[in-house]
Amino acid sequence: MKNTTALIACSAWLWCCSPASGETPAVPAPGPVPVAAPGPATGLADSAALRATVYGTPPRDIAPLPASVPLQQIDIALPWARPVPAVFWFDRRLRVWFSAQHKPAPLAVVISGTGSDGNTANLALLRAVLYRDGYHVLTMPSPTFPDFIVAASSTGVAGDLLQDSRDLYSALRQIVAHLPHRVRITDIDILGYSLGGANAAVVKSIAAADGALRIHRAVMINPPVSLFASMERLDQLFAQSIGSGDAGVERLYAKLYARLANVYRTPDQIAVGDSEVLAAATTVLRSDQEFAAAIALNFRIALMNVFFAGDLYAGTGVVIDPRHPPRVGDSLEEITRELRSKPFSEYFSRVFAPYYLAHRPGSTLQSLQADNRLDIIGAQLARDPDYYVQTNSDDLILNPPELAWLRSTLGSRIAMYDHGGHLGNLGDRQQVSDMLAMLAGRWNQAP
Amino acid sequence: MSAPRRPASALAASAVAANAVAATVVLIAIATLSGCALENPSIRRLPPDTPAADNQAAIQRADERAATARQAAEREAAQAAQARQAAQAGSESPDAVIPLTAADAPSMYSYDPWARLNRSIYRFNARFDAAIFLPVADTYDRLPPPLRHGVRNFFSNLYEPNSALNYLLQWRPATGLRSVGRFVVNTTLGIGGLFDVAAHLRLANPLTGFSVTLARWGLHPGPYLVIPLLGPSTLRDGVGQLADYGVSYGINLADLYRGYQSWALGTLNAVNQRAGNNFRYYSSGSPFEYETIRFLYVHRELIEDAALHARSPPRPPDPGKAAGE
Repeated sequence: MKNTTALIACSAWLWCCSPASGETPAVPAPGPVPVAAPGPATGLADSAALRATVYGTPPRDIAPLPASVPLQQIDIALPWARPVPAVFWFDRRLRVWFSAQHKPAPLAVVISGTGSDGNTANLALLRAVLYRDGYHVLTMPSPTFPDFIVAASSTGVAGDLLQDSRDLYSALRQIVAHLPHRVRITDIDILGYSLGGANAAVVKSIAAADGALRIHRAVMINPPVSLFASMERLDQLFAQSIGSGDAGVERLYAKLYARLANVYRTPDQIAVGDSEVLAAATTVLRSDQEFAAAIALNFRIALMNVFFAGDLYAGTGVVIDPRHPPRVGDSLEEITRELRSKPFSEYFSRVFAPYYLAHRPGSTLQSLQADNRLDIIGAQLARDPDYYVQTNSDDLILNPPELAWLRSTLGSRIAMYDHGGHLGNLGDRQQVSDMLAMLAGRWNQAP
Repeated sequence: MSAPRRPASALAASAVAANAVAATVVLIAIATLSGCALENPSIRRLPPDTPAADNQAAIQRADERAATARQAAEREAAQAAQARQAAQAGSESPDAVIPLTAADAPSMYSYDPWARLNRSIYRFNARFDAAIFLPVADTYDRLPPPLRHGVRNFFSNLYEPNSALNYLLQWRPATGLRSVGRFVVNTTLGIGGLFDVAAHLRLANPLTGFSVTLARWGLHPGPYLVIPLLGPSTLRDGVGQLADYGVSYGINLADLYRGYQSWALGTLNAVNQRAGNNFRYYSSGSPFEYETIRFLYVHRELIEDAALHARSPPRPPDPGKAAGE
């Protein structure tokens, strides 16, 4: 009995302080939601943005939801995948989720955020509102999710906007071709949140060039403009709130452990519900620094997987000896300890750059950086009326120049909200109604 | 002469048939577990999402949490005031809860001397789950909800006598009596435990078991342990579970714990529990999943232990030792 409930608790905790996966918030944001001052309120220390990012949309503010959404899990082996390393035995096939309408309908493809799978709470929310609006819905993992890296990546070294999106596009073609015959698709639109937003837009531009799959509209939700700049901003958040090295993580752990234990040591706490302890974890966050730490740590955990897989596939030998890769059943404890203290910049300089410099003739460190900006499809974003973006003026992965770039490039096809941090308003009534209007081509907002 | 032989050969034939069936079942199980029975792509129908109801539940949970957080803050303030008064008076109330500090936190690393075995059992569990357990549980999940709730209530009710005994052993006889009351009400008015009538009579009481009893007596969780089919545990929890089963077996209510019916019920209970649990092995996709789950399981247990001994001063952790050692 206890084991199973413990597992629920564990999975709840795994995603509970995870902004990218957006578990339903443990507690509502305290007090009335402060509206940001006019103009972009960007900055790492914006209190409201940090809280919104951790808590997500308060359940009361969620757009109307359907009572039931049918769901299928599709596991597909892709022919171009690289040989599966022993430690990744469970990631042989790409796993995506599909909800079919009973009548001919447009297909909405939704791509997950950094390091997340194809069935996060955020995706479930988008699936629900899209299904309610009459779409077939296909939800896909991020190209930085380990299962995608192993089963669908042609390189194994994740994080390159163009390469990852090419792999996504190829996988999407395969999946669409294998959908059950009775599913009648009238049109294809693509969406994504966070990194998945940038992926979605690039996939649409690849599809336009390739012509095999026609993707009509693309909606980016809280996308980064420069991938590496956003990731370095999250590294910076980590250094500021947790400190560099593993000691910072241990300090944070000890502090939160004591605080959480004290919640349960109070006098009339008669019985501790099995599933409650860890689910209560977000309620013990107090200062801005702690909220920032939760966000930074969540990103670091996603990065650890990307780093590990990249190092293994590229054979760069940072944490894995290429001659003796870990076998099934080997302890990875030492490696996790090492990876916890490694920032994105180290992944870039020691795994990503060496691999791509060797495999992409004529590239330089600068060109690799530049290739990972939304500018690579800047012309299409500006010209093609079927690209849309939704973002927040206090999104912590963007700085003012990047926000300004989005505004000037997309013109009237941008919805900018004052509050929400990173994904902290995903699924609320306004965001959802705007998103559905964009997908239907009904969106027109004066710039 | 030939007459008595016939039944013997019939017997032999049926034995051969039984063996063949058993062998086929084992072969299919092995084939599924090794993954060669998979088509590409495989499309599996899952129980539908229920977003509206889930959001309603989230609203309720959020309200409850907010209330708890408010109470906790008030209590904390009262405690702090009390502590100040006590410090001024130079005395300490014996009942006061001693708050933990960061220095009392156990190591981040969990004690796992049987890691190699545990890892292979974890892997086996993941494969068994994907090949057999989950498909069965998903099918079960499509049964009408009242039926599934009945099954769940029935098995909870079967645990009630063991709970009562353990509350007694934990020296909480009053709470134990509530368990007895629940058992009596639910077994009679609730038609053999199918309906939780007691809860409607405001006679709710969480189940308890030997693991909690052992923890109350001061036993440490001990080494991390992954149990085949059941999943993450610790030595103490494992022993506790065995003892819980022993008690039920000893009581042998309505002869449910002997013979074929015990297998049938055991299987039904396993499916019932799996269906009620949304954990999916390797849904994290991560090579570090084993380490993550171990950390979460062991530390959750330590927090529960800390709650059970709220009034005793915390034992300072040994910096050289892993949590649970």
